[in-house]
Amino acid sequence: MPMKGRFPVRRTLQYLSQGDVVFKSSVKVMTVNYNTAGELSEGARKFVFFNIPQIQYKNPWVQIMLFRNMTPSPFLRFYLDNGEQVLVDVEDKTNKEITEHVKKILGKSKEMLEKEEREKKKLSHPANFGPKKYHLRECMCEIEGQVPCPAFVPLPKEMRGKYKPAMKNEA
Amino acid sequence: PGLCPGPFPGLCPAWSPRAVPARGRKTRHDPPAKSKAGRVKMPPPVDPEELLVVLERYRQHRLVLSALRAEFRAEVLQKKQEERLAAEPSVEELEEHRRLMAWNDEENARQRARREERFRKEEEEQKRRKFEIAEKRARKMEAFLEEKEKEVLQLQEEAKNFITPENLEARIEECLDNPRNYNFAIDKDGRIVKRTVLS
Repeated sequence: MPMKGRFPVRRTLQYLSQGDVVFKSSVKVMTVNYNTAGELSEGARKFVFFNIPQIQYKNPWVQIMLFRNMTPSPFLRFYLDNGEQVLVDVEDKTNKEITEHVKKILGKSKEMLEKEEREKKKLSHPANFGPKKYHLRECMCEIEGQVPCPAFVPLPKEMRGKYKPAMKNEA
Repeated sequence: PGLCPGPFPGLCPAWSPRAVPARGRKTRHDPPAKSKAGRVKMPPPVDPEELLVVLERYRQHRLVLSALRAEFRAEVLQKKQEERLAAEPSVEELEEHRRLMAWNDEENARQRARREERFRKEEEEQKRRKFEIAEKRARKMEAFLEEKEKEVLQLQEEAKNFITPENLEARIEECLDNPRNYNFAIDKDGRIVKRTVLS
């Protein structure tokens, strides 16, 4: 099966999950105006080509729109939910600089992300047993070093219910 | 008659559990029988102490229940308000946001300065180039004019030696008087001998 596109690595989950720009919850729309030709727009083009998939993967609820060859110079515009618009001029910047800039002004900080991670973890207790969808393990027989599942390895006679009273009677 | 109110069959509060009216043979419009002429319907007997006790118990039960309901309602409202408060951004966050926006504006201003600088440089560059081109053109023009002038002067010089109808006779006489010998001899070593015999 052939790989699709010029840089198929952009479609891999590993690449996408490496994006570190997670927008704050107030950012709703991101608009990128850039040009398809010109030296000054090169950084913006690379940003659109390489970094926007990562951003969209991490922010599935943010609408991203691209406008080509509409303005002489490239820029980004963010629309927040309180009506505020944030303009970012990206002429003559590399795509790395652009991502850093965006992360600084509108991205969630590392502490915030960690806090959210911890909150999410608190909801589910890892020591509980239950369906695979909600818990890690279903039965004690899954754990190394415990009695294996009787479905695969029959229990010794002493532990089985039908022999216990017989043993007791004998004794 | 399968009378069922609305969407939930079997759920009719006044008639549950599923009591069917026992009218039997007669409809409501038929007159009652003659044997029931002097019938007086008496309400069921009530024991006053029992009634008091039962009423008191019901009162307390309902009191407790409504209190519990109010309690739970208040708790839910409280939780919702807390959620709302936590969701909206706090003062520090707003402050932080304003600071970041200010930084972004500065960055934009710096970018604008850089862009203006670049434009200025490019304009200067263009002007210089234009100037150079104009200079070159001017120089070429000058050189051309010089060339033309030189040619004109040369022609003027040569004009002195032209043969006109006036000095035609004189020139012919001159040529006839001075015969020019264009013959020459050359040997294998490349030596030219111009002095030959004119025939």
